[in-house]
Amino acid sequence: MKMAAVAAIALAASISLSAQWINYPSSGVPKKADGTPNLDAPTPRTADGKPDLSGLWLLEKNLPCPKDGCPDMEVSREFVNLGWNVPGGVPYQPWAAALVKARREQNGKDDPGANCRPTGIVKETINPFFRKLIQLPGLLVILMERDTVYRQIFTDGRPKLTDPLPTPNGYSIGKWDGDTLVVETSGFIDGEWLDRVGNPLTESGKIIERYHRVNYGLMELEITVDDPKAYTKPWTAKVKEFIQPNTEMMDYFCLENEKSISHAVGK
Amino acid sequence: MHYIYLVAEKPSAILAATLLMMPALVSAQWLNYPTAGVPKNPDGTPNLTAPTPRTADGRPDFSGIWDTPKNRPCPPGGCPDQEVSQEFVNFGWSLKGGLPYQPWAAELVKARREQNGKDDPGSHCLPIGFLRLHTDAMYRKIIQLPGLLVMLNERNASFRQIFLDGRPLPVDPNPAWNGYSTGKWDGDTLVVETNGFHDGEWLDRSGSPLTSEAKVTERLRRVNYGQMEVDVTVDDPKAYTKPWTVKLPLVLVLNTELLDDNCLESEKDIPHLVGK
Repeated sequence: MKMAAVAAIALAASISLSAQWINYPSSGVPKKADGTPNLDAPTPRTADGKPDLSGLWLLEKNLPCPKDGCPDMEVSREFVNLGWNVPGGVPYQPWAAALVKARREQNGKDDPGANCRPTGIVKETINPFFRKLIQLPGLLVILMERDTVYRQIFTDGRPKLTDPLPTPNGYSIGKWDGDTLVVETSGFIDGEWLDRVGNPLTESGKIIERYHRVNYGLMELEITVDDPKAYTKPWTAKVKEFIQPNTEMMDYFCLENEKSISHAVGK
Repeated sequence: MHYIYLVAEKPSAILAATLLMMPALVSAQWLNYPTAGVPKNPDGTPNLTAPTPRTADGRPDFSGIWDTPKNRPCPPGGCPDQEVSQEFVNFGWSLKGGLPYQPWAAELVKARREQNGKDDPGSHCLPIGFLRLHTDAMYRKIIQLPGLLVMLNERNASFRQIFLDGRPLPVDPNPAWNGYSTGKWDGDTLVVETNGFHDGEWLDRSGSPLTSEAKVTERLRRVNYGQMEVDVTVDDPKAYTKPWTVKLPLVLVLNTELLDDNCLESEKDIPHLVGK
């Protein structure tokens, strides 16, 4: 419902705002001979020769809509179930399997995101909103359209925290492995949902992300969930993100004019 | 006046408590990780009066973590919560005669004070808008890029973008809590214009209103390495009889980091927010 509202606003706004703000041209976009963006151009690089991950990105929307159209925003399969494509299925511990079953039966009504609470880094990454990556020396910042929250990934060599105060986004450090940025995050609050089906992440969980910008337009991202309390072994989801030139984020607040949660009912 | 702190500062109370709980080990690892590129005095201490750093194009560089001066004295028994600035409680406290409210706005502020500010959007974990983020007791980090200035605020781990790429302000924007901001250089001062506010924002804990018709101008100047001045001019004829300007100093903080503060995480205060 809220997403529909955003879509409607975006449509309404596009006429007057076009070319003014939301469609203001991005600078430095490689062009084809006909002037259109060349999304296959080589990966841009920073002064130190590393791939530059900076840009506005959107996850591939690979979940087909029903025949009569999507009831809401188009989303990715991973947004529904991060582990949909894991060979043999997600390796749940028995309690986690029972929990996900119960959450599905309850229509996911206790999903923190549906209740406008922070959704944590995984759901922030797989939701259908824009994300802006800003790569600086020693720091990667990710700005997220949903609830206008940021996330910091430190690449300045600081060590992992050994006993951090738990937060929804945890604490992230990144290191380069060739042209891939490997980000390790821990220090999560207990009870996070990785996706809409309610795959759990516990406070002892670790998330490893591998960012690989294949070319100007495409980012491949592997998300590994290493959480022995909830899963019998680590498992990995592979997603794609596409660059979004000539547009911009618009503030979106879940709590603003919230009307949906009273309709989210279980059994 | 304690209620003003108590209602306003619940996330800060949690933050303050959590900071205290952070083990010494963590301090050295993360929150006290040394800031790079700090100019030093001969004795090795940071030289906060060193010249303003500049970007490759010669402009002043505002990048860094900034804090508000805590210029509001605590009661004799100690502050019941985090120390805050006077402007956090009353944006116009430094102005002779206070903010020039229109009659309806003066009535509204009176009523909001009488109701202990229970409808403050911030107390209900809604965004508080960037003007209040300037006076907020929590840290903000400025990141200056070619064409863009980004502000990261500890409160709700939220960000604001100020575009420096020449785009014009939108003419009829969809209202947003932070509005739409563009900046242009006037010598060494960055002049930021913002429009497109959401109706019903509170500028301070007293509930001074900001309407959707407001235009805000900020003049940002980094005086030296350690100090910044932000002059805020609010032109909102619907709520105020004339435009007014408030000076907000910011001080640089070193060797520390932002710690996410999520108002909605473990929220316990709203049932206790009662009015008359």
